[in-house]
Amino acid sequence: MTNTSATDSPKAGLEPPALVQGDHDFASVTESVCRVVEEKRPPTIWFAIFGVALAALLMLFGLIGYLIWTGVGVWGNQIPVAWGWPIVNFVFWVGIGHAGTLISAILFLFRQKWRTGINRFAEAMTIFAVMCAGLFPGIHIGRVWVAYWLFPIPNQMDLWPQFRSPLLWDVFAVSTYFTVSLLFWYLGLVPDIATIRDRATTKVRQVIYGVLALGWRGSARQWHRYERGYLLLAALSTPLVLSVHSVVSFDFAVSQLPGWHTTIFPPYFVAGAIFSGFAMVLTLAVPARAIYGIKHLITINHLEAMNKVILATGMMVGYAYSVEFFIAWYGGNPYEKFAFINRALGPYAWGYWTMALCNVVSPQIFWWRKARRSIPIMMVVAVLVNIGMWFERFVIVITSLSRDFLPSSWGYFKPTSIDVLMLVGSFGLFFTLFLLFLKFLPMVAIAEVKNVMPQAHLKKHHH
Amino acid sequence: MSNENDQTTETPEELKFHGIVAEFDNVDDVVDACENVRDAGYTKWDAHTPFPVHGIDEAMGIKSTLLPWLVLCGGLTGLGIAVLMQWWMNAVDYPYIISGKPLFSLPACVPIMFELTVLLAALTTFIGVLALNMLPQWSHPLFRNERFKRATDDRFFIAIDAADPLFSADKTKALLAGTSSLGVEDVMTEANPAPFPKGLIYGGIGAVFLTFVPLAIIAKARFSTSDKPPLHVVWDMDWQKKYKAQKVSPFFADGRTSRPQVAGTLARGDYIAEEDMAFHTGVNLDGSEVTEFPIPVSAAMMERGRERLGIYCAPCHGIDGVGNGMVALRAERLKANPTTPDSSTWTAPLSFVDPAGAVMTQTIGKLFKTITNGERTMPAYGSQIPPEDRWAIILYVRALQKSKNANFAELTPEDQAALRGK
Amino acid sequence: MQDVLTPDQIREECQLGDDSRAWAGRVRALGLVMLAIGVGLGFSAEDEFAKFFRSYLTSYMFLLSLCLGGLFFTMVHHLVSATWFVAVRRISEVMAAGFPLMAVLFLPILVPMLMGSHSLYPWTDHDEVLKNHVLHGKAPYLNVSFFAVRAVIYFALWIGLARFFLKNSTNQDTTGDPTLTAMMRKRAAPGIIVFALTTTFAAFDWLMSLEPEWFSTIFGIYYFAGTMIATFATMTLTLLLLQEKGRMKNVVSGAHYHDLGKYLFAFTFFWGYIAFSQYMLIWYADLPEETFWFDIRQSGNWVTVSKFLVLFHFIIPFGGLLSRHVKQNKAPLAFFAILMLFMHWVDMYWLVMPSLHTESIAFGFVDVACLLGLGGLFVGGFIARLRGNLLAPVRDPFFKDSLHFRQPF
Repeated sequence: MTNTSATDSPKAGLEPPALVQGDHDFASVTESVCRVVEEKRPPTIWFAIFGVALAALLMLFGLIGYLIWTGVGVWGNQIPVAWGWPIVNFVFWVGIGHAGTLISAILFLFRQKWRTGINRFAEAMTIFAVMCAGLFPGIHIGRVWVAYWLFPIPNQMDLWPQFRSPLLWDVFAVSTYFTVSLLFWYLGLVPDIATIRDRATTKVRQVIYGVLALGWRGSARQWHRYERGYLLLAALSTPLVLSVHSVVSFDFAVSQLPGWHTTIFPPYFVAGAIFSGFAMVLTLAVPARAIYGIKHLITINHLEAMNKVILATGMMVGYAYSVEFFIAWYGGNPYEKFAFINRALGPYAWGYWTMALCNVVSPQIFWWRKARRSIPIMMVVAVLVNIGMWFERFVIVITSLSRDFLPSSWGYFKPTSIDVLMLVGSFGLFFTLFLLFLKFLPMVAIAEVKNVMPQAHLKKHHH
Repeated sequence: MSNENDQTTETPEELKFHGIVAEFDNVDDVVDACENVRDAGYTKWDAHTPFPVHGIDEAMGIKSTLLPWLVLCGGLTGLGIAVLMQWWMNAVDYPYIISGKPLFSLPACVPIMFELTVLLAALTTFIGVLALNMLPQWSHPLFRNERFKRATDDRFFIAIDAADPLFSADKTKALLAGTSSLGVEDVMTEANPAPFPKGLIYGGIGAVFLTFVPLAIIAKARFSTSDKPPLHVVWDMDWQKKYKAQKVSPFFADGRTSRPQVAGTLARGDYIAEEDMAFHTGVNLDGSEVTEFPIPVSAAMMERGRERLGIYCAPCHGIDGVGNGMVALRAERLKANPTTPDSSTWTAPLSFVDPAGAVMTQTIGKLFKTITNGERTMPAYGSQIPPEDRWAIILYVRALQKSKNANFAELTPEDQAALRGK
Repeated sequence: MQDVLTPDQIREECQLGDDSRAWAGRVRALGLVMLAIGVGLGFSAEDEFAKFFRSYLTSYMFLLSLCLGGLFFTMVHHLVSATWFVAVRRISEVMAAGFPLMAVLFLPILVPMLMGSHSLYPWTDHDEVLKNHVLHGKAPYLNVSFFAVRAVIYFALWIGLARFFLKNSTNQDTTGDPTLTAMMRKRAAPGIIVFALTTTFAAFDWLMSLEPEWFSTIFGIYYFAGTMIATFATMTLTLLLLQEKGRMKNVVSGAHYHDLGKYLFAFTFFWGYIAFSQYMLIWYADLPEETFWFDIRQSGNWVTVSKFLVLFHFIIPFGGLLSRHVKQNKAPLAFFAILMLFMHWVDMYWLVMPSLHTESIAFGFVDVACLLGLGGLFVGGFIARLRGNLLAPVRDPFFKDSLHFRQPF
């Protein structure tokens, strides 16, 4: 009913779209999500992908064993490129994890209701991505059995860790990030696991989901504390996610290496992390919603919003590239200038241009609404962005190391097959865990989605 | 459900009245009902919803939780731990000097300070939510109610505990029945709940004790000594298949692993041609000491010798060669002091210039050998002073000797006149 | 907040009273007088206005922040299709409309440069540049003509963007046309990109090149962070003052202030994060070509100012604005808003002055004169512009939703 009084205006198409499409009530939302967990047999395609992922995972375990037995020399790391693919993979995976926390925590603080369709999904992705990330520094130290020296635990040498090193800040940052993300994810899961518990038909399911649900019964008094706890964890996770990738960027920026030592690294890395993370969320969400029939919960509007974020963060990354390039010239440091020219025209130019095309050029298509709402286009862009962001880390790590101050020390890095197969294997780890998550846990935050449906809002004013 | 044909002697559970529960199917009704219950003054009651209903906190009169304060404390604790840890571990207990940075570097400590603050705050939040909610609580009378299963799906419930002081079976039921609920039911609970299995309690206590065992072992190892070799789990490269320098060798006749040099071996740079022998060793080919300077004698060479003597020789012999350098003076002082430890090994440095001393009659070749190889307690300076500089020093020593033993007749007429005072 | 107010009553509330005209005049007059005093002091200092120019630049960049922040907030508001902040958007639009004034006020910096003055930017001195290898390399960028051209471009773009958003918003007050909102939303994203680049390079040109041998890629973001703090503080104070005077009483509520407080908190944290990143990375690598800039700011009395910044620009407001009580109550919120505004000015001072006073801070009345002078002209203009428009976009499609805004947590 359009009321055209002096201060009223029609909203004609400006209203935010419905978060749950179609004629749904609470019960059908419960049903849509729980059905996936309860069905006896997952769809065939689940088995197909799971098989591939599991094979890759087993290969990864085998390779890790080989690595620990034989030594770090099985990788392509050499002098001067002492940090090779393992570090690139580490930064790549940590970056991907950030989108989950952004969706869960930051969008929550900004009261963006559309996050409820995808936040469970994204948080799970974060946890698994951080696990994949943590793997690489863990195994690249060489003597994995003394990894406990990284922590401030009394050891046989009476030595403590060197806290002034960014590598140690990483240990704390990534451990904290993993722990907090896990806690946040689990806290969010408790009410939904209770839902599955209450629908469970077999004793095994009742017990397992019952134990995990901690006896949740939806008490309003408990919801009150739960809500405050959720808000606090969101408020804590937001600066945490900023700090984690900033600490990762410190690994490079505290050095004196041209191409590494630049003050913009922290926010630039964070923007890049969100960029690659959203691309990964898309890569997972688009097939999942089709396979599991939850297009009404993860709607095309959700996907469009994610594409806008990809465009925005891609522009931020582009901004950082431009400023770095400008200041490399402006600063007058000949080594810095060379580093940038070398990236674009030197022996790794193929990596640089792949990165530029994938990161800067490909998301530009999202200026067009039609592209933002087209499934094939967004899948292509999402995959390109992931590739581009891997290459960005590759360009940063390897080109700066391969050609720094002294030409007599320059060296060209070549990955070994172990490098490549371990990257593939890490995807195996990620997808194995993710598919298990899809099978056994509710992939959409049921309670949170219900909370943003129109039926959840009080119609009358109460005292 | 007990079956009449059931032969097992399972006694039917004795049930006890716990309270009542009412079901609703939309948020407005349940919130309205909550207001009624709240206004009636009940305290031991709760609403149960599949998601947090906005506005239900006020409708129920729920007060704000103190969770944020706990979290603040947790965060500050984390911050304190981080600062203390980094300060004590890197600046006090085992100070590390890393690239010239201060032992306690605040900028470098900030990242970990931040992370530990967040970690402890987050742990406090999680544990706080569970603890304040008294979870896990796997058993609750409401779970016996079939309808209640929909509390996590799409229905809303209000449950009032019979233990509430205002509870009265008819009045309370009437209150709830008067709202727009779909139905009011009794909630029953076991009259004699099974006691917590003793086995689990003992097992739990046992497990806690067991966790102290590794700590005790470590403590014992830390604070006691042993003459047994340590357990070596990972060999790294600690035992390598090679013979070490001082070990017995079963291969060589003399049993030594460390082999002497083959006769005639020269170190790189050690080869001295015959014509250079005198210059490098101070000894001629026929074995006699050198008496002629093998370097060109000049004022510049003299000056070089003076400078080098001042660096290397003067600490003991003094800058004028009488043997009164700083080292010698201090040694004498220590010797004279009865409280200093035994200094009987101190031999005074010889004077170069004493006409009755041993050095006065030595050839320059002998002097060269002394500087190169040392003599008695004087160390060898051959590795510190190149041969050319050694000759320059000896040239200057000769000058010093001449200066303290000059003959009037050898002076020039001008100098003689000057000395006579004309 | 009463639902029963008629739309006409709302319109009534959203207009400045008649006495605002006099106030605008008085404040501008004060501004002019102070500026004249400043110029006089600068003349008497006999340092070729080196100190005066820097005092002027400090307060200028401070006030420019308010225009830039207003523009950014307006554009982001449209970009994310925000609804609950519609009630306060006019304030930021009017802040952004100060660019034409700022363009005029830039002339006292630019014109002396064009006339050959070297007192402000060292790279304007050709002899020095020829002697200095590093500066010589930067000369294609750091030269007066290109500098002037860039300044013209920045202002043209800023004025264009600010005008676009204010004009369409005020047009909507009369027509109520929702397509205007759609159009503003569409232009927001490209606008933000233009904003990011122009602000970054303006910060490089006008602030970073005061010490032309120094460089930092994050500098533009650092200036931006401070800008946003000052902007939210200004918006909060403006609304508080307006409500004191009986305006917007039923338009802006405690929920809006709570949100403004949250943004103030968030950007305080963000500023701390950016400032720390810049400092720590330069400290850690310890390269003399970069550290000298911080060295100056840690020598003599400057170290006190630096510590003062850390304490009052970050630690105290971080702790204070964490509290819900502070964000929901007018007096504490006003206190922190004023504190943050003052600290932003101190931040600008800390950025600019050490380029002249390398040993120790040498605060003078000319600093106050420039602040009051430029500030008076800016505030006077701000009042005048507020007078010329409704105080809130009353016919924005989401204005009503904004009135009913309640904090969910």
